[in-house]
Amino acid sequence: MATYEVFLKKDGRDEYRHAGALDAANDELAMVMAREAYIRRAEGSRVWVVNREHVLEGGDDFISPNADKPHRHHDGAEVAARRKRTREAGES
Amino acid sequence: MSRSWNDMDEFEEFLDGGGIVEVDDDMPREYREAVFAFIEMHANSEYMGGLTERDWIPKTPGLRHKMSVLAKTQDEIGHGHLLYMVAADMGIKTRTEMLEDLMAGKSRFHNVFHYKAETWGDQVAIAFLVDAAALASQQAVFKNCSYGPYRRILKRIISEEGFHMRLGEDRMRRIAEGTIIQKEIFQGALDRWFWPALQLFGPDSKPDDKLLRWHIKSERNEVLRDKWVQKFVPMMHSYGFTVPAPDLAFDDETGKWDVGPIDWEPLKKTLAQGGPDSARRIGEARDNWERTAWVRNALNGVLQ
Repeated sequence: MATYEVFLKKDGRDEYRHAGALDAANDELAMVMAREAYIRRAEGSRVWVVNREHVLEGGDDFISPNADKPHRHHDGAEVAARRKRTREAGES
Repeated sequence: MSRSWNDMDEFEEFLDGGGIVEVDDDMPREYREAVFAFIEMHANSEYMGGLTERDWIPKTPGLRHKMSVLAKTQDEIGHGHLLYMVAADMGIKTRTEMLEDLMAGKSRFHNVFHYKAETWGDQVAIAFLVDAAALASQQAVFKNCSYGPYRRILKRIISEEGFHMRLGEDRMRRIAEGTIIQKEIFQGALDRWFWPALQLFGPDSKPDDKLLRWHIKSERNEVLRDKWVQKFVPMMHSYGFTVPAPDLAFDDETGKWDVGPIDWEPLKKTLAQGGPDSARRIGEARDNWERTAWVRNALNGVLQ
């Protein structure tokens, strides 16, 4: 018996979203159970079913270094201020 | 573990600020146990409710309704499984342990599934009164639930319960438009199910209710119960049925219905597995669990 994670997507622009988990004896039964438990009323038009052991997971400790990299952002504030000054000068 | 808190004060501050707890967070043990117990009872109730519905598949009048009952049974058992997965991930009991405890009469499920459904009228009354009560309490949890996995799974459960409730009212409408005998049968069912359904909300919440403090419940029991009364008393009247509350009164000042004093003894009995139909229901669930062991074994055997 293995635990699987179920992801659903409707056709269109939406991304795949996690719907929940299930226990199944093998991949084929996991697909059938995903349909019967999570897609009972066309909640999605596509499904990914992934053995939980195959999911690579990174937590906050792993991700957090990238939360502190201001050089990867630019708020454009000074440029905006400069543009505003130019605009106002042109209008007067 | 991705997040941890130094003490309960810090954790509660996180919850009060709208924080959502995830499965791999190092949540306080008391929170983990309380949330687990709540989800386990919800899962058990879906499962036992599904078995109640199943009892009526062969006896449901008309093919269209029979198919709806089949769908509803599958929904309820499915909800049980979704919830057992969420509960099992909390690491207190496995899914199998939870099911075994349920079959052994060691764990709780909602009071309403400790009563016998005598007639098809009872089944309609359950769908109408009980499903609405269960849906209202689930919606109140969904509104502000601090445990992320439970909140997300509730969303899909609630959407399916909406179908059950509409089905219940439609069945009631058909009976209300039916023969005198049908109406009598249904009135009898309402008389049996009104109080158990009302008691599903439980007695008034204690001032220090942990589930309220930790943002699992968003509404006090008595508030939810009152909302249900204000909705269902007039609805029963509008379909031409009476409410089995001798002290029922309408307060002109508040514009509200008051059902009078509530006897909580029946609820206490069901919580101790001593309801009118508890023994048979648990026994049948267990027999069925044992009888279908070959299906589980066959599915597990696929691996070999």
